[in-house]
Amino acid sequence: MSQLATFIEAKRQNKPILSMTHVVYGYPSVEESLSWMEKLMEEGVDFIEVQFPFSDPVADGPSIVAACHKALEQKLDVDTCLSQLGKLAKRFPDSRIVLMSYLNPMYRFGLDKLAQRAAEENILGLILPDLPIEQAATYQSACKTNNIDPVWLVTPVTPPDRLAMLASQASGFLYCVARSGVTGHSSHEGKAKQTSLDDYLAQIKQHASAPMGVGFGIRERAQIEQLTGKADIAIIGSALLDAYNQGGQKAGIKLIKDLFH
Amino acid sequence: MQSENGFYGQYGGSYIPEILYSSQQQILHAFEEAKNDPEFLAELNKQWQQFSGRPTPLTFCANLTEHFGGAQIYLKREDLNHSGAHKMNNVIGQGLLVKRMGKKRVIAETGAGQHGIATALVAARLGLECTIYMGAKDIERQYPNVFWMKQLGATVVPVTTGAQTLRDALDEALRDWSSSHEESHYLIGTSCGCAPFPEMVAFFQSVIGNEVREQSVAQFGQFPDRLYACVGGGSNACGLFLPFLDDKEVEMVGVEAGGKGLELGEHSIRLSHNLGQPGIAQGFATMFLQDNAGQLQETHSIAAGLDYVGVSPIIAHLAETGRIKMTYAMDDDVVAACTLLLKKEGIIPALESSHALAGAFKDAPNLPKDAKIVINLSGRGDKDIFNVAKAVEDETFPQFLTDYLASYPTTQNKGDKA
Ligand SMILES: Cc1ncc(COP(=O)(O)O)c(C=O)c1O
Repeated sequence: MSQLATFIEAKRQNKPILSMTHVVYGYPSVEESLSWMEKLMEEGVDFIEVQFPFSDPVADGPSIVAACHKALEQKLDVDTCLSQLGKLAKRFPDSRIVLMSYLNPMYRFGLDKLAQRAAEENILGLILPDLPIEQAATYQSACKTNNIDPVWLVTPVTPPDRLAMLASQASGFLYCVARSGVTGHSSHEGKAKQTSLDDYLAQIKQHASAPMGVGFGIRERAQIEQLTGKADIAIIGSALLDAYNQGGQKAGIKLIKDLFH
Repeated sequence: MQSENGFYGQYGGSYIPEILYSSQQQILHAFEEAKNDPEFLAELNKQWQQFSGRPTPLTFCANLTEHFGGAQIYLKREDLNHSGAHKMNNVIGQGLLVKRMGKKRVIAETGAGQHGIATALVAARLGLECTIYMGAKDIERQYPNVFWMKQLGATVVPVTTGAQTLRDALDEALRDWSSSHEESHYLIGTSCGCAPFPEMVAFFQSVIGNEVREQSVAQFGQFPDRLYACVGGGSNACGLFLPFLDDKEVEMVGVEAGGKGLELGEHSIRLSHNLGQPGIAQGFATMFLQDNAGQLQETHSIAAGLDYVGVSPIIAHLAETGRIKMTYAMDDDVVAACTLLLKKEGIIPALESSHALAGAFKDAPNLPKDAKIVINLSGRGDKDIFNVAKAVEDETFPQFLTDYLASYPTTQNKGDKA
């Protein structure tokens, strides 16, 4: 079994649902983002999803877009980011780090090199939302060679046969997008039909042997309670960023406590 | 030109978030069906003729030909389409496809505003809801077009992220599509984006080259020796070039925006001069202007419609294989070419199209007298009146603006009258 899945399974023995918190690397500065990750890990979050910023983050809503653009006012470097994350990973053996970015900066860095360096730094999973599985042969084999997991996404509008295909290929965990749209609160919300989350998760479970993480639009305790027993990880992205923007690390930690304790 | 699974060599493809997969597949299948359906094609032709005014003429420019003393210069008059640009060809095509797919809303991005206007026109005619994303900076540069979009009933959303230009508008349109794909179609305005958009837009634009094939033979008894088109996203270039792809004797020249200089941020040259780098963003693989870390960069052109960070994967591929020769024109040369066409031929070209003119005017004197060249006049210049007035440093225009503003009823005056 994959390192990530093993970790999740072990942790789930005594936790009904795990937490995955999202941090934009370099926002508002590299130092502060690293200090924020450290704080979250001290708090005992199970996962940190670190987003390496891209100039055109098309799967993200306003909060994360603004943070990425702000972060890019500094020169950010993938290799330095990986080394810094590696240090954190070593210091907090009870948590795991997964790296999320868009394809272009990672493609420029080199996907083979990315997989190798990530593994060296004990980063066990990679999320690239604009890389469809059909175009991912080399990336998949690079991940396999280095024993890390490419995390795939499924959505409420993924056709059943495709959902079965993605779920069966999933290793590490499967990222289940909770609703149509981009991350966070968005000006575009409310236009799409909502499917019942319970039905959707039950349908995925039929095909997936990998653990399931659920994200997009999660910001309330009630939502996490609804997921408990049906998913393994609740992913908190924009809500945490919004709290952080309003009241810094303190407000962010308060949100995590409200949601998970 | 047909792709292999959406790829043209190493460019193209479909790199979209999973949420858009079904909608992308739906468009793929709808387009495959429609392009082979005689009924759809007949309706498309009818709308092209009756709504947009096709076929557009091929105009011989005797004065310019004499002026340069070289090749015989012809213009393909896409400026004579309704709303004044080639954008209409594609929008009519995709608009009909939207009806066929049973969707009720269209989303579009626009730079110069030409695609926005064309989309708003067709949405009004077909009874579709319409939302246009436009960079806040482009709104400032092209306000007259924004005005018309609103009058046509479209919602114009200013995009204030990033550099606030076309690329940001495109990102925002993609985000809207992600949450509204069940009832909305993303009507991309150029031959970029995920498959099948590059191929589909090129297919609808190929009416340009198909007409030139017939018109050139009828008017001067042969195919042109050389074709010129400006390349922003590359749709007017695809439209003119693709029908001639297999006619090896026909040379093709694409002209990019050289802007103010060759420093990153001053131009939109992706293909000539090795200034772009291969990348994957906004749904597809192509040559992008980016830094070494893979972050897309800001671009510049005096013509908002050429100010794009990527380029059609079709054009990128044809440039790489050498079938198309790529060059660029600087802002100053573009304004000079625009002014020359005004004075010599009595035609007002768009600044985008003036890039193609500038490219051709450089070559024309050195070509043999019996050579025939066709320049695609992708649009007319009415929308550029403010920018051209500024560029030629017209002394009376600022005074006109000041006086006009003084005579303009303020909100308060209006309130008093009501
Ligand atoms: C008149 C005109 N020509 C050309 C273009 C560039 O588009 P493309 O390169 O897709 O033909 C535009 C885009 O707005 C335009 O308005």
